[in-house]
Amino acid sequence: MRRLLLAFAGLAVVLLALPIVGLLQRMPWSSLPELLGDDVTLDALRVSLVVSLVAAIVVLVLGTPLAWALGRTDLPGRRIVRALVVLPMVLPPVVGGTALLFALGRRGLVGQWLDRWFGLTLPFTLAGAIVAATFVALPFYVIAVEGALRTARRELDDLEGVASTLGAPPLTVLRRITLPRLLPAMGAGLALAWARALGEFGATITFAGNLPGRTQTLPLATFLALQSEPERALALSLVMLVVALAVLLPLRDRWLPGR
Amino acid sequence: MSALSLAGMTRMGDLQLDVDLVVEPGETVAVLGPNGAGKTSLLRLLAGLLSLDSGALAIGGATVDEPGTGAFLPPHLRRVGWVPQDRLLFPHLNVARNVGFGPGVDADRVAGLLDALDLTGLADRRPDECSGGQAQRVALARALATDPDVLLLDEPSAALDVESRHLINGVLASGNATATLLVTHDPVEAATLADRLVVLENGAVSQFGSPREVRSRPKTRYAASLAGLNLLEATASGTVAVTALGTRVVLAEPAEGPVHLVVPPTAVALHRSAPDGSPRNVWQATVADLQPAFERVRVVLDGPLPVVAEVTPAAVEGLGLKVGSKVWAAFKATEVACHAI
Repeated sequence: MRRLLLAFAGLAVVLLALPIVGLLQRMPWSSLPELLGDDVTLDALRVSLVVSLVAAIVVLVLGTPLAWALGRTDLPGRRIVRALVVLPMVLPPVVGGTALLFALGRRGLVGQWLDRWFGLTLPFTLAGAIVAATFVALPFYVIAVEGALRTARRELDDLEGVASTLGAPPLTVLRRITLPRLLPAMGAGLALAWARALGEFGATITFAGNLPGRTQTLPLATFLALQSEPERALALSLVMLVVALAVLLPLRDRWLPGR
Repeated sequence: MSALSLAGMTRMGDLQLDVDLVVEPGETVAVLGPNGAGKTSLLRLLAGLLSLDSGALAIGGATVDEPGTGAFLPPHLRRVGWVPQDRLLFPHLNVARNVGFGPGVDADRVAGLLDALDLTGLADRRPDECSGGQAQRVALARALATDPDVLLLDEPSAALDVESRHLINGVLASGNATATLLVTHDPVEAATLADRLVVLENGAVSQFGSPREVRSRPKTRYAASLAGLNLLEATASGTVAVTALGTRVVLAEPAEGPVHLVVPPTAVALHRSAPDGSPRNVWQATVADLQPAFERVRVVLDGPLPVVAEVTPAAVEGLGLKVGSKVWAAFKATEVACHAI
């Protein structure tokens, strides 16, 4: 029995490791500097960084109050909102992109008014790519911070109470007690959300298209290159692999506890 | 002007807290009561972490909570120092930063309090590196640093070593004349630190009076069992302790220095004539008062050992006890609990 389990576990490890090995084995190491240095790659890298970083900021600004409302208030309808928050995680990204198109597109539910009143067009723009990335990334942050808030709710209530009796006004309590206690969860959630935004493909290509230099992110450029120039696809994949590892390493204490 | 006056009601979950309480400046009041009686809730109410549903609360003469007029002063403006039962030190700050947390607390103040509470060597430690007694002293220093008008102590000596207890009592005694409320389970602590006792049961005050008053006339069974213990200050040397009146009390186990002797009223036996046999502490007393209390009678005795004896009504009848009667009282050395001060 034990052997059988170990065999299946080993198979799972192979399944996880094999693609990485395949990627590295075919990597065109010698032409790498040239492939990574040309305009297509640099444009995609720039678009990806802008999209993922702006998305991360929006996630932080909108996600923190949402996590607070879900984790520390007793507002009605929290269960429904919580389900809504998780939805982008389980929804196929293409469906998310389609939904965004019909909501925020030029003919969409809200999009037509944005277009008519503000002359604001989201689809097939950098801003649209940011909206798509935010849509898929938000749940990762909200869930991490809300979980931390809920677990520590009693402790936070108590510590904030003591701090206030010591004469600290609410903003000081937030700055010196609440935020420092939440910082690890916020950092972890933000790193995950950012990584998810960086890797976003389906919703972006559906909602924002694949315009080089404007909405073509690293994953889109990789997919495109695969058909004409596989070596470039490999080089771009390496960039994202390195980024993924860079995100994972600081989080290893959180997700890879023990030895 | 009273330091604190509360007459109000608040409901939280199953508990309805309905309290009438006035604390005079400089007074220390101990709050005694069974678990779930609302002791901690009372402190939170005074600190402003809970609010009244009706009635009014004033601190230093100023109304801070009065739902009828909508007045409510938030905790950070109340000048109330709270030492919670769980200490609740800020886990991400070291000891010195915990003590200096309050706005306007300067480094000198922090250093002075750390020194007074023997915490100087711990200034850089994190709370999770402190023992229970140390954490307790840090929590007290943190509350005192802001120079509060009212000090709220929740079980201050729970799980405390004797040394921490001494330090804390010393610092409390030398503090500014702030009113202090002290929640405790420990009748010895209540009687030694407090000017008056509040017995809180089921959210309501069942008795409010001096320790001697509560001891001699407990109004409820709980008050009788907990606050009704006899307490004598004495100086011990070996197995003999001498009280302030010069009376010798024999102890079962040797002790040295100033002590509190605690004798349960049920342990004090009354006799018509001098008893012989095992009791080591025997004296002649005068009956000062007789109080019926829950199928028993509490006999308040005057004499070399001013204590209360709890006996059955049949015994009172059998001995023919009246106010002014002479009677022999006795208790065994093993019945005396001896606490170092």
